[in-house]
Amino acid sequence: MALSGHIACLECDLVLPMPELDEGQRANCPRCGHTLTSRPLDGFQRSLAFTLAASVFLMAACMFPFLTMKAGGLENAITLLQSAREIYENGQPVVAVLVGAFILVIPAAVLLGMLMLLVPLLQGRNAAWLVASGRLVFGLSPWSMVEVFVIGVIVSLVKLASMATMVLGISFWSYVAFSICMTAAVSSLDRMTVWDSIERVSVR
Amino acid sequence: MSGFPSNTAAAQGWANCHTCTKLSSAELHHCPRCGAALHLRLTDSLHQTLALLVTAVLLYIPANVFPIMTTDQLGQSIDSTIIGGVVLLWQHGSYPVASVIFIASVLVPVGKVLSLGLLCASVARKDVTRMRQRTSLYRVTEFVGRWSMVDVFVVAILVALIQLGGLLVIRPGVAALAFSGVVIVTMFAAERFDPRLIWDQLNADALEERNLGFGNE
Repeated sequence: MALSGHIACLECDLVLPMPELDEGQRANCPRCGHTLTSRPLDGFQRSLAFTLAASVFLMAACMFPFLTMKAGGLENAITLLQSAREIYENGQPVVAVLVGAFILVIPAAVLLGMLMLLVPLLQGRNAAWLVASGRLVFGLSPWSMVEVFVIGVIVSLVKLASMATMVLGISFWSYVAFSICMTAAVSSLDRMTVWDSIERVSVR
Repeated sequence: MSGFPSNTAAAQGWANCHTCTKLSSAELHHCPRCGAALHLRLTDSLHQTLALLVTAVLLYIPANVFPIMTTDQLGQSIDSTIIGGVVLLWQHGSYPVASVIFIASVLVPVGKVLSLGLLCASVARKDVTRMRQRTSLYRVTEFVGRWSMVDVFVVAILVALIQLGGLLVIRPGVAALAFSGVVIVTMFAAERFDPRLIWDQLNADALEERNLGFGNE
């Protein structure tokens, strides 16, 4: 068998001919069912659009009040960053760093990596940082826990609803929009398609 | 060549790059496209997965014994553990929230450790049954891992919000650290398990053994 023109399933190692997909199609491994590759409609454009939208929402999420609690004449407003900082100041610095990384730093790094990947690839140009950006995006995205944090916030709101009045700030809504855009951006980015494109522009 | 089933890339001496999915000769050691290290199979996959699972189990003990947060109210301190929090919410009638925390903090981590342990054991036993289902089990295990962080995020929000001077203050506990450890370690454990090992049992020797086994019955 010749090496070129073949791929192997990442989850069962079955050798398969390179799939030729049209937009909107997906290839699954016939043996184990793993999704080998997919070509979402307008994959790169769509991904870039959601990446840009997610970046704007993330910036907005860092600038305004996130949540405000009102109880018995007392009021306490927090920003997104404070959710990590207060843990730091209350004796759990490691947890604070992890929370900050999972909800803010890693997602921001993934977004930056996607911008640096998608802009040159859409123009069909090579760039010195393409390989590094690809490794960053696909290596870090499992550690971006944006949607999980949204669920965590909702759980906290329900927990506190009985004892205080909760006000959802602009940052909260921005973060929810950011999580939706981020998920859409990452899910319309196919690993094999991205790397094939990187190879194509760098050989030229 | 070697003991790999003939329809696999490994039998041809080809390594599939985990980062960029390019097939290359395993003799290259590094992927020519993205530079990641190449292996026919993840090195020492079962041992590393098991070692990480044991670590997760050990961390899960302090995560449940020690308080995940402490509430200081008018000079009085109340510790709450993960399970204690779930029970309290349930008693107050917050069933959906209690369920979310229970699933994220108990079912998911325990389920992950059990399913990865089961997968390792099945590979070590050279099991050749239900390969597709076991691969699906692996896929689900890998997917749900991050969702266990919910409770730590809840603590982060409560600690930040509830800082009402001397009246009411919430502080994070040691269990938050231990539990974050559980989540991270189990995520690494899932990453270190190589699902291709499940399918490698389909090689000629294993099938022959299995057929002989059936013949004896």
